[in-house]
Amino acid sequence: MKRFNVGFAGALLFLTACSEKAPIVVGSKNFTESVILGEMVAQKLESAGCKVDRRLNMGGTFVCDSAMTSGALDTYVEYSGTALEAILKQPKADVAAAYAKRGLHWGPALGFNNTFAMIVRKADSPGLLNISDLATVADRFRPGFGYEFVERPDGWNGLQHAYNLQFAKPPKTMDLGLTYKALASNEIDLIAGNSTDGLIASLGLIALNDDRHYFPRYDAAVVYRNDIDKKCGGASKALESLRGKLDDAAMRQLNFEVDGKKRDVAAVAHDALGR
Amino acid sequence: MIGEILRITAEHVLIVAIAVGVAVVLGIPLGIYCTRNPRAGRVALRVIDTIQTIPSLALFGFLIPVPFIGGIGMRTAIVALILYSLLPIVRNTFVGIRGVDPVVRDAGVALGLTSRQLLFDVELPLAMPSIVAGIRIATVIGIGVATIAAAVGGGGLGTFIFRGVAMVDTRLILAGALPAAALALIADVVLSVVERRMIKG
Repeated sequence: MKRFNVGFAGALLFLTACSEKAPIVVGSKNFTESVILGEMVAQKLESAGCKVDRRLNMGGTFVCDSAMTSGALDTYVEYSGTALEAILKQPKADVAAAYAKRGLHWGPALGFNNTFAMIVRKADSPGLLNISDLATVADRFRPGFGYEFVERPDGWNGLQHAYNLQFAKPPKTMDLGLTYKALASNEIDLIAGNSTDGLIASLGLIALNDDRHYFPRYDAAVVYRNDIDKKCGGASKALESLRGKLDDAAMRQLNFEVDGKKRDVAAVAHDALGR
Repeated sequence: MIGEILRITAEHVLIVAIAVGVAVVLGIPLGIYCTRNPRAGRVALRVIDTIQTIPSLALFGFLIPVPFIGGIGMRTAIVALILYSLLPIVRNTFVGIRGVDPVVRDAGVALGLTSRQLLFDVELPLAMPSIVAGIRIATVIGIGVATIAAAVGGGGLGTFIFRGVAMVDTRLILAGALPAAALALIADVVLSVVERRMIKG
């Protein structure tokens, strides 16, 4: 019995030593679009023959970024405005150069801009078109946001300041994924979504126009660690081929396929790559 | 900061106290009912088991559009926590009463006790340690679970944890997690004393 155990342990050691390289760890943030993009990145790497470990739907921007810099994640999709304002806190910097200093590569831009969208219900907000129009309803509208938007420098506080808005009620902070449901159920009146969200039109909501150009551009790009090709040769080349793959309308459609038509993320990502 | 931690800790205690309080008021009679009507009782226990498996965010998703008990804020969080607290209380009441020695029950019947007297003078006192143990489990678990109140704008110590996770700020996460752990330990010690008294008495 004892002999067997030793042999077993030896076999395990042998197997571990011979096992192939560590998989590329692909992450995403906690909203539909990010999960779809993470899945697209994962499938692209797999089609290039790489082994992939999916860590989709993680806590949010800051969780993904700290996982990248610590090496727990190898790649995920980030937005230029988020990188500059929230992560680097240098709105005027060159994002690729600043990322290179952190050992990360600001990779191919996917081709769309997903800015924050301040969203209200169409029915009970007649006359609301621009964010500056919120001044007329600031005394009665109940805002509700995810925790990240309330804390970010390019989030709620900056917006109120830029538009000189003073809401009577402080925002309700809650899980980002529940804000649409709460808005549609009349529990809150203003949320911060994404301009490429698929459900804005179908839920009877409208995204207000950023008439004072408060929000910067949020161009989606694949970020990866500089050493990604050591884990799998050809990984960066495969990711590079995603450049310009999606425009705003295409991304909105993918989001609608998942959120509106309830299709499986992996299938939607597969179709998007096949185009 | 200390002031804010205290305020939010008090909010947290309030959420748990109301939820466990209501769960006790609903759960003990429900547990007794289950012992009296085994068939309906089995269904009720199955339903309560199933509620336990619903992830909290999904439960909030269902509750937000529901009038009176749903919506955004502390109320929805309390409703969810009541539902999660029912299992240990109902089940321990049920098991406690079912565990009463049939000989003792028969002796009560022989003495001419009515069904009502049998319940209040024999079964419930003997089941009390088990019932208190259920309340203790519900409270200690509830203190942890109540951190999800922050996902529906319900406040409590989860607020710090959610903000801390969103910002990767370990100090904020600890500002939520440490008081929650302390509350759970305190509740556990206090209720274990009550439980021991019950066993002695």
